[in-house]
Amino acid sequence: MDMAIDGFHELDFTIFNTTTTTTTTTTTTDSSENDYDYACNWNDWSPVVDWEALSSDQNDFQDLIESMMDTHGGLKQSPLTDQETCNSMSTSTDTMLVDDETSGEDLKGLRLVHLLMAAAEALTGVNKSRELARVILIRLKELASPHDGTNMERLAAYFTDALQGLLDCNGNVHGKHSVNNGPHHYHYHNRGDQHHSDVLAAFQLLQDMSPYVKFGHFTANQSILEAVAQDRRIHIVDFDIMEGIQWASLMQALASRKDGPSTPHLRITALSRGGSGRKSIRTVQETGRRLTAFAASIGQPFSFHQCRLESDEAFRPSSLKLVRGEALVMNCMLHLPHSEYWSPSSLNPRLITLVEEEVAIGEGGFVGRFMDLLHHFSAMYDSLEAGFPMQSRARTLVEKVFLGPRIAGSLGRIYRARGEEENGSWGEWLAAIGFNQVNLSFANHCQAKLLLGLFNDGYRVEELACNRLVLGWKSRRLLSASVWTSNFNSDPDL
Amino acid sequence: MNIEEPESCHGSDMLDWFVGSVPILPSFLDDPYDAGDISSSNPWWEKSQEICQQPINNIDAGTSSLVAQNDSATSDHPQQSDSKKRKTLDDPDPKTSQNHQKRNQNRRGNFEEQDGDQAAVEEAGSGKRSSGNKRSTNKVNTNNNGNGNKEGRWAEQLLNPCASAITVGNFSRVQHFLYVLHELASPTGDANHRLAAHGLRSLTHHLSSSAATSSSASTGPINFASTEPKFFQRSLIKFYEISPWFAFPNNIANGSILQILTQEADHSRTLHILDIGVSHGVQWPTLLEALTRRSGGPPPLVRITVITAAAENVQNTETPFSIGPPGDNFSIRLLSFAKSMNINLQIDRLDDHPLQNLNTQVINTNPEETLIVCAQFRLHHLNHNTPDERTEFLRFLRSLEPKGVILTENNMECSCNNCGDFATGFSRRVEYLWRFLDSTSSAFKGRESEERRVMEGEAAKALTNRYEMNEGKEKWCERMRCVGFVGEALGEDATDGARALLRKYDSNWEMRTDEKDGCVGLWWKGQPVSFSSLWKLDLNGNDS
Repeated sequence: MDMAIDGFHELDFTIFNTTTTTTTTTTTTDSSENDYDYACNWNDWSPVVDWEALSSDQNDFQDLIESMMDTHGGLKQSPLTDQETCNSMSTSTDTMLVDDETSGEDLKGLRLVHLLMAAAEALTGVNKSRELARVILIRLKELASPHDGTNMERLAAYFTDALQGLLDCNGNVHGKHSVNNGPHHYHYHNRGDQHHSDVLAAFQLLQDMSPYVKFGHFTANQSILEAVAQDRRIHIVDFDIMEGIQWASLMQALASRKDGPSTPHLRITALSRGGSGRKSIRTVQETGRRLTAFAASIGQPFSFHQCRLESDEAFRPSSLKLVRGEALVMNCMLHLPHSEYWSPSSLNPRLITLVEEEVAIGEGGFVGRFMDLLHHFSAMYDSLEAGFPMQSRARTLVEKVFLGPRIAGSLGRIYRARGEEENGSWGEWLAAIGFNQVNLSFANHCQAKLLLGLFNDGYRVEELACNRLVLGWKSRRLLSASVWTSNFNSDPDL
Repeated sequence: MNIEEPESCHGSDMLDWFVGSVPILPSFLDDPYDAGDISSSNPWWEKSQEICQQPINNIDAGTSSLVAQNDSATSDHPQQSDSKKRKTLDDPDPKTSQNHQKRNQNRRGNFEEQDGDQAAVEEAGSGKRSSGNKRSTNKVNTNNNGNGNKEGRWAEQLLNPCASAITVGNFSRVQHFLYVLHELASPTGDANHRLAAHGLRSLTHHLSSSAATSSSASTGPINFASTEPKFFQRSLIKFYEISPWFAFPNNIANGSILQILTQEADHSRTLHILDIGVSHGVQWPTLLEALTRRSGGPPPLVRITVITAAAENVQNTETPFSIGPPGDNFSIRLLSFAKSMNINLQIDRLDDHPLQNLNTQVINTNPEETLIVCAQFRLHHLNHNTPDERTEFLRFLRSLEPKGVILTENNMECSCNNCGDFATGFSRRVEYLWRFLDSTSSAFKGRESEERRVMEGEAAKALTNRYEMNEGKEKWCERMRCVGFVGEALGEDATDGARALLRKYDSNWEMRTDEKDGCVGLWWKGQPVSFSSLWKLDLNGNDS
């Protein structure tokens, strides 16, 4: 297996000197299914909160009420009574102190989930009420801060921010307009706000804390290596190159490949979007410089291009400079340009490597999907905590840089898609427009399993299709990596 | 006829009555009217003294000074600047308002817009004052924007779906809403937070009682019965000063009584008022004062027979505003006030007489006297079906052959279990309480105070009251006609007086007169609150 698990030594990020620790999983909860609606299914997503302990027999009002009475010292003694301000984050500590005395973190988590769900309902439900949503969000901001507190509290804070974004942007009449900005409107926007050093540090931390990054990169790279084994020229179009970490390991593998034509020429075109501002364009340039330097250091023939798109501009194949004889690879790590306008088939790529989030598509419209997202990200938070239980600052940074924007992006997407047919995953879409699955090799499978072995027991990998591996945390699927090819010029080599 | 603006004396009389008869009351009550003592040390009082020369502004000054003074008692005097703002805003042309108060009703809007602005100013100012209040200050302004605008009423959007979920037995939804309500409810926030708090208590009470346990029947908020009599009276009077919820119907009633008296040929007859109300005596000083002003002086004897709500009767204790604290007896004060006015007053207090059991002997009427029944906010205690106690009682009133009956009730749909399922009834109670909380929040300028808590706690009984309550105006009128009464239009004096009174309150209040049935409605933000009507015996029609 020609893998590059430790191919990152050249990219030196040592801001946080963290090491991977492994802890055993703590709780497993049984799921007690309840058919009433999605609100009842909290039992089966244990990651953040031990729901089991909280959800007594649903049919017994008395227990519920008495538990509420007991834990809060009577209903009239509302936690709001002594609230100092509405919007200040500082109050959350006061509230938490009060709560810690009277109830556990778990109950607070449950309260947050109820509030989040109510806010989602108020934004979209039958009894839609912006005012109610506003009031709930104010309360959520009192209760949860992205900087401290439990996983659920920090997670709730990001969901709160994302909901607030929806509420604010829905305030103007042109709320629908942003449909055209595609699913990653928030993502790009927020990324632009981040300090470059933060992004680098967080990225490194994320790599150390979890297999999320490497799982995608390694699976994609292994497929690429296998697909271009006989090619002299390789052209990779990367839809979000970020710091380019993925390509260092690929270059090492190419430079040292033993069979096939030695050291093929590698060309990378990074797509960047104007909407994300100068910062990201500079980031891409910087990435290109670094990759070029790295390629030179290991003797890998390499050229780098940047293809800029306006924020609302669809990606057009014509904006790519293609060279005859190149093996074209399109690499999409969680980022695909607007599928409505883009037809990759016209490019006849040899390979499309796709990493996307696996969010269960639930019933129940926006609120149901919202709860799915909450499940999804709470599993992610939980997995990060399991990997780095003591490094709360590190996790906070990772959450701020990666998860927060991703939460906002995902939420925005399901919000705009409400009332419409679910688009399904990108993979499904690729299949629908005529792309073919490419079998993942045995080596690729092994590599993924080996990778997970370096991390917490809670991670697992499953093969969902012959071309698709899924990375999960406990019972929750989180990411999938899949590979596709254009069927328009079927290459006998594949 | 010669009744000189009874309404304009309303505020001062009530205070005179109190100051004269109840020396133990905190001294601030008489400050504005005894300005000589303190005006030298405080220029603000001087100003209010000047304004006292104009009747209308007299009232305003009295009100505002009460409010301001009382608040500064609980906080350390940051009110001063606000009070000055109030002055400058209220001042513009007091003369005009005095001269045209009867004819130029249209000024009202203009006049009160300023009042509204000033309320906003105070809102902002009070926000930095006390921690308990902060929550309200951010929201009151937005809440008060729309007239009857449902969008701002978020508490109902949790309470009503929760009640619906209870009705259909969707327990997980109920649980969800209870969680959310618990997070957002606050007894000291704005009207919505308060409604959420009261509604949440009511819902949990309902759930626990339907689960047939008594344990979690938690102690409710403070209410009339749990207050000190002195504090109770003070709270009630303050509420009269700042909200027309009761003051307006009381004023209509007094105007109606005067109207009936002027129609009576014989001025020497005894006036006998049957007081089936919730004013706890606060209504009567104004009437007595007005009686002294009419030509020919007051009647030789004024009898007030007070039918108090029986505290033992569970139905009554759960109905808002009907039961005062134990030991509250306004008769002594009222008698001494009457004495100071040279009115021969006799008060008969009928305790422990449920309305259903009243009879002519108990009431002790005399054919020689002018009997007037004043039934306000009490008859909805009675069942309206199986048995129809309401009609029965009205029939009883008819048998007394009164010269007039004043009927005032909440103008809202019935919330009993026979008129709709739990969710329907609950939403109507919530609607009632919302109007009370919203208007009371405005009345107190969003500020928290003990008086406010008492009034709101008492009103919130409506939510836990499982008995029949309220009925629309049309149904009441139909009942009255059915038992042999005929509606009597209110005269100009009574309506003008009421209109003038209303002018001193929040501009969201309005008076609507129904041409058809002669009822006078009190409305808040375009929604009906109560109606008042005057009835006489139908001598031509179906005498029962």
